[in-house]
Formats: sequence, structure tokens, C-alpha cells
Amino acid sequence: MRPSSRWTPYLLVGPAVAFFTFVVGLPLIGTIALSFTKWSGTNRIKFIGLDNFVRAFHDDVYRLTYVHTFIYIAATLVLEVAVGFGLAGLVSVQGKRTAWYRVTFFIPVMLPMVVIAVLWSFIYSDDGGLINSFLTAIGHDDWRQVWLGDPSTALLAICVVSGWIYAGFYMAIFYAGMQRVPQSLLEAARLDGASEADLFFKIKVPLVRGMTEVAALLCITGAFQSFDLFYVMTKGGPDHATEIVTTYLVSTVFVDHEVGYGAALSVVMSVVVIGTGLLYVKLRRGDGVDVEY
Amino acid sequence: MGTVLTLSTDTPLVAVPGRPLQPTQQRRKAGVRASSVLFYTVMTAISLIYLIPLIWMVLSSFKTQNEIFDSPWSLPHSIDLSILGEAWQRGGLGTYVANSIMVTTASVVGILLFGSMAAFALSRLNFRLRGFFLVFLALGLLLPVQAYFVAQSTMLDRLRINDTRWALIIPYIGLGLSLAVYLLKAYIDTLPRELFESARMDGCGDLRMYFVLVFPLIRPGLATVAVFSILGAWNEFLLATLYIQSDEYKTIPVGLVAFTGKYSTDYPLLFAALSIITIPMVAIYVIFHRQVINGITEGTLR
Repeated sequence: MRPSSRWTPYLLVGPAVAFFTFVVGLPLIGTIALSFTKWSGTNRIKFIGLDNFVRAFHDDVYRLTYVHTFIYIAATLVLEVAVGFGLAGLVSVQGKRTAWYRVTFFIPVMLPMVVIAVLWSFIYSDDGGLINSFLTAIGHDDWRQVWLGDPSTALLAICVVSGWIYAGFYMAIFYAGMQRVPQSLLEAARLDGASEADLFFKIKVPLVRGMTEVAALLCITGAFQSFDLFYVMTKGGPDHATEIVTTYLVSTVFVDHEVGYGAALSVVMSVVVIGTGLLYVKLRRGDGVDVEY
Repeated sequence: MGTVLTLSTDTPLVAVPGRPLQPTQQRRKAGVRASSVLFYTVMTAISLIYLIPLIWMVLSSFKTQNEIFDSPWSLPHSIDLSILGEAWQRGGLGTYVANSIMVTTASVVGILLFGSMAAFALSRLNFRLRGFFLVFLALGLLLPVQAYFVAQSTMLDRLRINDTRWALIIPYIGLGLSLAVYLLKAYIDTLPRELFESARMDGCGDLRMYFVLVFPLIRPGLATVAVFSILGAWNEFLLATLYIQSDEYKTIPVGLVAFTGKYSTDYPLLFAALSIITIPMVAIYVIFHRQVINGITEGTLR
């Protein structure tokens, strides 16, 4: 449609574009520019070319953050996506009658991550914590751990919390997909003697196959960007055992005041995330075709 | 977590309705009933994994320090609600809640207003920079905050709006706009073309068309955007912890972290603070659960 006057479209788009330029556009250019410099935030900015990137590739802690992120991704693909898938399969057996269970499983998704992080720090605490005292109660004192204080268990402990939060989210997505199967079809299959397992594996699973790819990519890109749980529960410790990209980025820029180096780290990370994101967009298009039937 | 895994794969196999060999009504009914008892038992067991931590949190705030340490699974001897008031007072939770309300309200109003204005123009009006703006705003869907927050914090610092509520409101609006524009544009795209054309024939200008026609029609879309924008701003932690240092401007998530630092040894008080924040949220969520679940899933799947 033709605008009623030449300037009205710009008046309508103006505020959004202005905010976006100020909050995302300029800072993006600024961060890329800073990644080629050495700067503490207060002293004079010094251009140092690609030195920051060279340093990043030789930075043991930075490489470690990617190792941790990959472990976190592997664990959350199971604890969030696969468990969410299983939960969706379970609740879809009874469908509408499971409303309150679905509401319950989704509670952690909408709560502030900080609240959950603090709460689970208590649950994991070495004495007085729910888990350790439960282990004692069932006679396994030897299984007690300093869950978040021990480098060998800390990362996995955080993964479990992440699963506790997001399994309900993935359940909601998969459940919505599985509900697209007409009830009459399921009834007919049941009358023909199909078991619930048959319905799940032969009807519902194929229907949401396209969604699993989307969910997996959402889980992966989300993992790269996670921060709250790690920062509140362990601050990246003990001894960098739970250091991930963002916690390291924050301590580089805001604690060590290495703004230029931090900017380079964030550029590298963004390239990784955007690469995964583009893959996601591509798969989304494929999904549209998949859902048609 | 192990229990969840085994339960979720085993149960559908167990929940077989009566055998097809001898399909007498009675047998079938009994089988269905037994399997449904099993089903709800399993579901309730899984629910407890979600509910026990939350119930434990609330009950622990009514226990003494020693009770929390010595018998974490026991019930409190009495429910004395005054601990909630004490946590609110001593922790200065009122300030954090007020800040969260102000920051969230301002951000969401900004996102809804500016987002819907842009979405209307980008969906219905032909103008030269339309394609460019669409691609530009779509950048926000792709870029993680980590791609630009380093320079963003420097900018806010230089403009001296660091450590004010604006240091959160402005970024939250900018960050929320991409998704809002994208979703609302998709929504406006589905409205019938004739609607706009006949309004135009009657001499309706663009701005009037936005306020009188578009804004009321896209209310369901606005509600979806509102849900995830509210929760996004309310729960946001990364920028809030980096940009706010003064206690008087802290929002709930940053305030709670400050609280846990200050009273790290006073367990009942900490649990009380967590409960104060959690209980109203869960209550509101239970009432609006359909909107919340839809809003979050749609917002994340885009």
C-alpha cells in the first residue's frame, strides 16, 4: 500500500530503528572495532591488529570454556531435549487430562534463573543440602559429595539443574506437536490393538521429527549464551572447572579490565553462535514442509 | 535424573490397554483402570521432582538455622509468617521489587508501542528503505547479546546513564524489539488487505490507521509479545548485574544475589527472600498458565 505521506513510514519505523541502532547496531560495530585493540577502559586505545585473536587461540582457559560448553551441550541435549521429549510422550498418552502436570513441569521455565540457581546451591550444599542428606538417609554416606565445590562434579551438577529447568520447556514444544495428531486416528489405532508404545513410536515420533532438530539447535545456541546458572552457582570455579564463554568474557572485561581482548573473545563466540543460528534458520524452512501432512 | 529417564521410556510399554486376544469389556476396563493408576502414579512421582525443591524452599524459611542443617527433610515446628516480613525489611526487597516493576513496565510499553508501529509500516507500507530495515532488525534475532555488550557497556558509561534504571530500560527495549517486530509483522500480514484499502479510500492516513485499525486488531499478538517481554525483563540478569552497582537501582535478580552475599549465613532469611519472590510469580503463572506457556514457546521458537 502507498503511504499517505512520504514521511509517515519513517515516523512509524523511526523509534524502533533508533533504539535498535543505539542498543545493538553501534555496540556491534564498536565491539568488532575494539577487538583489534588493547584497552583497559580508561587508558588510551592502542591498535594491535589480530593479536587478540592469536592470543585467544593460545588461551588455555578460553579453549577450556569451549570444552565445557560442548560437555554442557551434550548433557543438556539429553537432560533437556530428550527428557522433554519423553515427558511429552508421557503426557500425550492422556492428553488434556494432564494439564496440571504440564503446568507443574513448566514452573522452572518462567522463574528467574537466579532464584533457581540460589535454591539449587542449597540443595547441593555439603551439609544441610537435600541431596547429601537424602543419600545419608538411604544409607549411602559414601556417595555424599561437595557437588559444586568439586571440579569433577560441578559441571555435571549445573547440567542437572539446567535439565530441571528446561525439560519442561521442550516438553511443551513437543507436546504441542504431538497433539496435532487427530484423536480419532489414535482411537482407531487403539481399537485395532495398537499399544501406547506403538502410538508413540509409529505416529507421534515421526510427526515431531522436524521439531527435534529445531529443539536441538535451540539447545545448542542457548548453551553458548548461558550465564546465570554458572555465574550464580560457581562463578566459573572451582579452578575454572565450570568456566564457560560468557563467564570468562565477563571476568576478562569487567574484572581484569581487558576490554579489547574481551571484545575479541565475544567476536569469536558470536561467529560460532551465528553459524549455528544460520543452520537453525535453514532447518526451520525445511520444517515448514515437514509439518504439512 | 536417572529415574526420569527410565520412567519416561518404560511407561508407555507398560500402559497397554487390555489384551486384544480376549477383548471382553470387563477385562479391558480393569486393564485400563490399572494402567491409568500406574500412569498417574508415575506422573505424580515426576511432579515431585519439580515440587519438592520449591516446597522445601518455602518450608525451610519457617525453620531455625539448626533445623535446616540437622534435618533438612523435616517439617517446620510452626509456621511463623513474620520471617517473611523480616526478610522483606532487612533485605530491602521492596526497593528491588519496585525497580523490577518500573524497569519491566517501561521496557514492555516501549517494546509494544515501537514494535507495533514498526511492524505496521514494514508489513503494509511501501517505502524505499523497507527491505533494509527488515534485514537490519532481523539481525537482533540472530546475534547473541554477547556479540555487542562489551561496547554497549562502554557507551552507556560514556553517556553517564550507567547505574541508572535507563541503563536497563533502553537495552531491554532495543533487545526486545527485533522479536516483537518480527512476530507482530507476521500477525499484521494475515489481516485482510481490503480492510486497509477501504480505510484508505475513506481518507484514513497512516498514523490514524495505526491507532484506530491496527492497534486494536493485533491485541492477541500484543499479548503474546507482552508475556515474553515481561518475563524477559523481569528475569534478566546478565546486563543487570553488569550495568547496575547501586543498591537503590537493583532489580530482583541482581538484588537477590546481593542479598545472598550479605546474609549468606542466615539460611531462614535467605529461604524467606526466595519464597517472597517465587510464590507470587507461581500464583500468577498458575492463573495465566496458558498464556505464559504459549507466550514463551512462541517467543523462543519465533
